[in-house]
This record gives sequence, structure tokens and C-alpha cells, in this order.
Amino acid sequence: MTLRLPRRLSATAAAYVVCAALFAFATIHSSSFASAGHVRQLLVFASFIGFAGLGETLVILGGGLDLSVPWLMALGGMQLSIWASGGMPSGLAILLLVGIGALIGIVNGLGVTLLRIPPIIMTIGTGALVEGYLMKVGLNSSSAVTAPKAAQTLVENHVAGIPVVALVWLGAAIVTWWVLKRTVFGRSLYATGANEAVARLAGTRVIAVRVTTYAASGAAAVFAGILLAGYIGQAYLSMGAPYLFSSIAAVAIGGASVLGGSGSYWGTVAGAGTLTILAALLPTFNLSDAALNIVYGLVILLAVGASRFARRGSA
Amino acid sequence: MSAVATPTREKARAAGISLKRLPRGQWGTVLLLAALVVADFAVQPNLADVDQIGLLLQTAMPAVLLAAAQTLAVLSRGVDLSVGSVMVTTNVLVATKLGGIDGSHMGLIVPIVAVGAAAGLINGALIAYGGLEPFVATLASWAIFNGVALLILPTDGGAVPTTITNLVIGKVGPIPSSYVGVAIVLAFWWYLRRSPLGVRILAVGSDESRAFLNGIDVRRTKLLVYALSGLIAGLAGIYLAGATSSGTPAAGDGFLLPSLAAVVIGGTSLAGGRGGIGLSVMGVMVLTFITDLVTNLQLPSWVAVVANAAMLLLVVSLRSLPNVLSRKETP
Repeated sequence: MTLRLPRRLSATAAAYVVCAALFAFATIHSSSFASAGHVRQLLVFASFIGFAGLGETLVILGGGLDLSVPWLMALGGMQLSIWASGGMPSGLAILLLVGIGALIGIVNGLGVTLLRIPPIIMTIGTGALVEGYLMKVGLNSSSAVTAPKAAQTLVENHVAGIPVVALVWLGAAIVTWWVLKRTVFGRSLYATGANEAVARLAGTRVIAVRVTTYAASGAAAVFAGILLAGYIGQAYLSMGAPYLFSSIAAVAIGGASVLGGSGSYWGTVAGAGTLTILAALLPTFNLSDAALNIVYGLVILLAVGASRFARRGSA
Repeated sequence: MSAVATPTREKARAAGISLKRLPRGQWGTVLLLAALVVADFAVQPNLADVDQIGLLLQTAMPAVLLAAAQTLAVLSRGVDLSVGSVMVTTNVLVATKLGGIDGSHMGLIVPIVAVGAAAGLINGALIAYGGLEPFVATLASWAIFNGVALLILPTDGGAVPTTITNLVIGKVGPIPSSYVGVAIVLAFWWYLRRSPLGVRILAVGSDESRAFLNGIDVRRTKLLVYALSGLIAGLAGIYLAGATSSGTPAAGDGFLLPSLAAVVIGGTSLAGGRGGIGLSVMGVMVLTFITDLVTNLQLPSWVAVVANAAMLLLVVSLRSLPNVLSRKETP
């Protein structure tokens, strides 16, 4: 009997091999790495990249790119804090903000599809508009606003030893998987990313599909910003900056093609895990941010190489 | 001379490139820039001064160089996400390895320039011979070179030789050296565009397989594109060191998205093969003059950010409008 992995899985599987190997290595190096408390913390960290990368995965699957993620994250954190300190109930504020994120995403999607503006440019543009707005409300980049209790509760509480945010993340991942694999939208998205012209001829509503991915990306990015603000305890203009890189890097490490049409959200989850484990592991070797950046780059090359190898092996 | 020029022209024609016709939208960029310059001068008459404009050009120069580097990658139908991080790598090398303000190891400037080119060569090798998408390869090197810069100099600081500072802030005869800097960039593009390599870059960017069928070594061309891009980004880092008199290892990321914005505002197509560094220089100046105008109107700084973003979206919308209306496919 031979063991055969389903072909579609292999690029994602490669990402999990990288992630698991790193975790094993970290555990061997320092046994406290795998302690419940530390894993819990890693899960919370990973969920920030996980949500920022969720929308990015959908957009990239459809052949696009969303560079407005960092500013939408800052919007989520800062506006929530401003509204909450003004007396608005946090639950309502979070819902409104996620809705606003989706609306900004729709603007991105319409610009890309109807006006045919390249995704890179459209999302840089809306991102900068949001940045300008945040500079206005935050007055300057160094001013930070305190995050409300609700956002802090989301990242601090846990159920049965598992952080609430990780459960929400798992739920989001399952929904995303189901939508991608089991719905017309999911099929249409892969078809659009693989070949837009062919998808259109086959009757796919290409514009609706792509706009939806940008809307999801806007909503997810804002939500990630809310979580991040809850974790840090405050919100500031540059809080999302590292996620410009890590949201895309998680997708790339997860084995998705940056040209669209192939990949999965489970891959991005592994990518988020990989980036998070590395960030936690390197300081135990007394290595700084500098080394972390270098290792991030090398891991992207390694993971992309591995997923190519996996794909070639199964082709 | 003509012995070189003729086959180049023929190859260009065969690959569907006109060396004479400038890209559509170029005049739009010229008019836009002219309007902004006039508006800025109207608001701030003092600006109409050789030294004042020189200062504006000096501030814009690192962005001009990065936009030039980015343009080469975009023309070949790629992208270079590492321009900012290559810039800070050479920037911190200048601030730490040349022997402080005395510049006692000034000779090391040559290997530092080479570092930029080598960084670009790595990108080029990964893309041309490793078969990686430019986006992925330079996503990785973006992180790697940012890390290298932080490794060399963890926080802002260091000391820059006065030779370099004087070169950047000094004058050539009566005019500030920043004019010469911009002129060199434009002259470089004027030369490159007519050179066999320039034609190959445009050919590869407009249609890779057609370029290949015309006997162009596509891989070697891409390798050289990214090597040049790295070299120019590295020069930007040296210039920035001179302009700020210190090393700034974390400054790179702030330059990345503006470099793409400047290329697109200038009118170079992200689909490759159409556009040029001259246009991107105008793109940088459009963004520079908007920011300067906002400052001179004594508006808060967020207005400049919003105005730059609005200008970017407006310009690209207007450019793509004819295509949208005629229902032509745009990549």
C-alpha cells in the first residue's frame, strides 16, 4: 500500500511541514516553548497575522493584492478607541468598524474591476486616504489612544484553556475553507484567479467575485486591528505597519500562487504560525529584529521553494 | 556608431517597440506637473529661486532614484519590493564603514556601491534563473536587506563623511548639486533607452515570448534589470546618508509604496514595456510639489497625504478611463 497525498494538499502540506519542523526545533531548544501558557500566547500573536492574511488570501486567490491592510488595521484600532472613549458601546463600534472596513474594501474592488486600476495602486491609494484620515483624528503619528475593554477581553480571555481569539480564528478558518471549497463563490474565485477571461466566458460573475474578496479583506484587516489594539492596550498610526509585509508573507509561505488561482487559507494559517514561531524563537538565541528579518526572507524563499517542489512532484 | 544603432532599431521594430513615440499620457503628466509648479510658485513666490528649488530637488532625490530603480523593474513587467531595503543597506554602510565625518576610509565607497548592485543581482538571479515571481523574490529580499541594515546599525546614527555631505548639499559652480543629480538620472535614462540593453528591457516587458523569438536573452536581460535596480537603489542610500548626515536603518519601508506611486503617476504601465524613468522623475516631482504646496498653504500634514493619494487615484482613473469606455482589455 502506498501513501498518497491528495494533489491539492501538497503545497499547503509543505507549509505545515515547515511550521511543524520549526515548532519541534523550538521545543527541543527550549522546553518551555511548548508550555500551555506560551502556546496560548503564540496563538494570540498568530491570530493577528491570521486575520490580516485571511482577506489577503482571498484577494490573492482572485489574482489581486491588497496593500491597504496596515492602514485598515490602524483604522480598526484607533477608531474603536476613539468611539469607545466617546461612550459608544464597544460591540456596536466593532460591528460598525468591520462594516466600514468592508465598504473600503468594496471601493478597492470597484476601482480594480470597473475602473481597471491595478490592485497595487488602488489599494495603496485607499490605504493612504485612510492614513490621512487617521493622521487628522490622531493629530500626529506618536499619539496613541487607549483600546477599550471589549477589545482587550477578546485577546485575554480563554475558554477551556484556549484563547477566545484563537477559537474565533478557527471558526473563521473553517468558514473560509467551506466557502472556498463548497460554494459557487469559492469555485468562481479559483476560476477567476486562474484565468479571468476564461472564467468570464464560462459565466462567472468575475466582478462580483473580486469585489467580494476586497470587501472581505477590508473587514478582516479592520478586525485584526481591533484585536491588535486590544492586545497592545492602545492604538496608534503605525501599529499596522509590520503587517504590510507579514500578511503577504503568510500567504506566500502558505503556498498560494501570487498570480492567483491556487492556494488555500489553511496554507496561510501555517504561514501565520511559521512567522509567529520565528518571532518567538529568535530572541531565545539572543537574536535581534535584524536576524528575524533576514530569517523571514530566507523562510519565504524556502517555503516557496518547498511548495514548488511539492507541486512539481505531484504534477 | 550606426553599426550598433541599426541592429538595435531593427530589433526594437521587430519586437514592436517604437523608440520615437513616447507613451500616451506623457503630456498629461507634463501638464499636471506644470500646473502644480505654477500653483506652488503662486502661493510661495520665494520658491522661484535657484537655491530653493535645489533644496526641493535634494529632498526629492532619494525618491527620484528609487522611482528610477522601480521603473526598470516595472518596465520589464516585474516589480522590486526591495528598493527601500537595499537603499537603507548602503545607507548604514556609509554611516558606519567610511571612518566617520573624516572619511578616513573613503575608498570603501566603491565596494558599498557594489553592495547595491550585488543585492540587485541576487534578486535578478532568483527571478531570472530561479524562476521565482519578481513579487515573491523581492518580498523575501525586502525582509533580508532590511535585516542586514539593522544588523549593521540597529538604530539611527553613525557618521557620514563630510565629503559625501558636501557633495549632496553643495554646489556645482552657481547651481546646487541636486540639479546635477536629477540631470544625471535623466541622462542615464536617455542613454539606456537607446542602448541595446534598454531596447531589450522594453521588449522583454512588452512581450517576453516575442522578445525571446527575436533572439533576446530574456534571462540575462532580467538579471541586468534587477542588478541595475539594486545599483540605483544603493546610490539612493548613499545620497540619503549625505542629505541627512546619518544612517537610518528603518527608513526603507516608508519609501516603497511611494516609489510605486511615482512610477504609476508618471505614466509607466505596470503591465510592462511602456514608460520610462523620465516619466517617473516627473511622478516624484508631482508628489513633491503637492506636499510642498500643502506645506506652503500652511495646511496640516495629513492634507498632503490625502492629496497625494487622491492625485494617485485620480491620475490612474483618468488614464484607464479611455480603456474602460472602449471596453478594451487592460492587464
